[in-house]
Amino acid sequence: MMKSVYKVRKIVRGSATAEAIVCPDSFSFLGDVDMDSGEIIAQGNPNKGKNLKGKVLVYKETKGSSGGCVVLMTLAGKGMAPAAIVTMKPADYNMTEGAILAKVPFVCEPDRDLLSEIKTGQIVKVEADAGTVEVIGDR
Amino acid sequence: MKLTDRETAMLNGENGPVVAEAIDYLIQLGEAFDAERLVDIVYCHYPAEMGIYAGSVEDLVEYAKRGGKVAIPTTTTTLCSDLERPQITGIPKALADLQAQAEEAHRRMGIMETYTCTPEQLGFIPPFGSYLACTESSAIIYYNSVIGARTNRGGLFTRYAAITGKYPLMGYLLDENRKGTHYFKVNIPEERLRSNDAWTALGFHVGAIVGSDVPVIEGVKPLRQEWLIALGATLATSGSVTFYHIPGFTPEARTVDEAFHGKVPKDFYTVTEADLDAVYEKMSTVKPGSKIDFVDLGCPHYNLEQLRVVAEALRGKKIAEGVRFWVCTNRMTRKQAEYSGYVQDIEDSGAVVVADTCPVESHMRQSTCREYGLEIPNVKAMVTDSVKMSRYVRDLIGCETVLAHRDHCIQAALAGRWL
Repeated sequence: MMKSVYKVRKIVRGSATAEAIVCPDSFSFLGDVDMDSGEIIAQGNPNKGKNLKGKVLVYKETKGSSGGCVVLMTLAGKGMAPAAIVTMKPADYNMTEGAILAKVPFVCEPDRDLLSEIKTGQIVKVEADAGTVEVIGDR
Repeated sequence: MKLTDRETAMLNGENGPVVAEAIDYLIQLGEAFDAERLVDIVYCHYPAEMGIYAGSVEDLVEYAKRGGKVAIPTTTTTLCSDLERPQITGIPKALADLQAQAEEAHRRMGIMETYTCTPEQLGFIPPFGSYLACTESSAIIYYNSVIGARTNRGGLFTRYAAITGKYPLMGYLLDENRKGTHYFKVNIPEERLRSNDAWTALGFHVGAIVGSDVPVIEGVKPLRQEWLIALGATLATSGSVTFYHIPGFTPEARTVDEAFHGKVPKDFYTVTEADLDAVYEKMSTVKPGSKIDFVDLGCPHYNLEQLRVVAEALRGKKIAEGVRFWVCTNRMTRKQAEYSGYVQDIEDSGAVVVADTCPVESHMRQSTCREYGLEIPNVKAMVTDSVKMSRYVRDLIGCETVLAHRDHCIQAALAGRWL
């Protein structure tokens, strides 16, 4: 059986259990997501058309404009923010700031490549304070 | 985190609740990244609250009312409206009025209302080695790389840094994070790298390879400030590059060896004209001869010399009907350009000199703040000399693009077609 609890580094406190949305590449909150609806609009993203709201957003690393944290805050203000963020690469400060203020749990640097271990649609549990991400099962 | 007595006093509310909250957020940020202490910063480029981000201006106005006041020299980045002449961008009045409230709040907080992505062009040049808190990816990379001042990719926390004059000692503030990670040898004829568009293409190519690391780019001659600005802007578009070295030109890399802190990697990437060509191809989706309806110059914001050149090219000419042509700059430079007659030359042609904003930062989004009566922007094909602009407008405005030399952008505006 595949390992289902992964160690991660805590960046912003909190926990969440929700469906995962796994983006295999880097992700820019400015340009890749619709600020009104939380829908992924980036061309080339396999999740284009899916919505971030209430999901555990898993991606490789943050890219693009430093306006990204403002987009996250705006989404949070409308109740459209992801439930948690998990990145493979070390956290980006800009996104950390957005996550502290938006109160979105944020973890990074898992001990395994979660882009291949977790599939979009699976339910995962993020516990930032314990430093774990757990796959609970399929939807 | 170790705090000084003064910082502890701030945290305990001796300077009021606004300062206490600000330093608490900075401590949370520092602790997330194991920062050992806070440092004093000398300058801040602040994220101007934009009307298109719901609640952002209201939050700022409230913050200013609560008594938020900056402790260090602080400038602001772009807005979603040209505050002096909002009508020239076609922004709905209600949204322009909301945005104008930000200006009053910024003044109240002691923030200078520069509203530009390139404060380095206005003379805000902090000393080499000093610490800053900075937002706007193209300014961040410029201060780090070209000036040798130290900042991370700041966002909303630049507010708390400005209020306290503090920032956690972490990331690019630390020597060990300022060494090169990827080695690029550029093998491109010098004459190919003599325009904004070419430098944005180079940055876009390199940024896509390095992601968030530190490229060392050897074999280029950045002899103009605007080329360095263009390069940095796109290194932070395809990637999130915060810092780069150009040996022999940027101050922390007199040599390749110094750029890598003595550990030059054996492997390197060769960059050729074909790599630039690939960026142009990717960013140019309009067929020659097809109609274009928008031309944008000034991403990042143009300087006075660039406005002068555009004015000279447009003097006595008329742009084609049905084409909108924006030349974006900051308000101080526009004032000077008015004085010098450049604004009149440009605007007599039918183009506009836009300050405080740009197509991406303005109200022209596919969907946002519908309550202000924003419509889907009717832009079908935009010609620009910046990859940063073309990359973002594709998704935010949803239009076709062409990446071209400034002279060709101007010709396209006059013809109404991509030639």
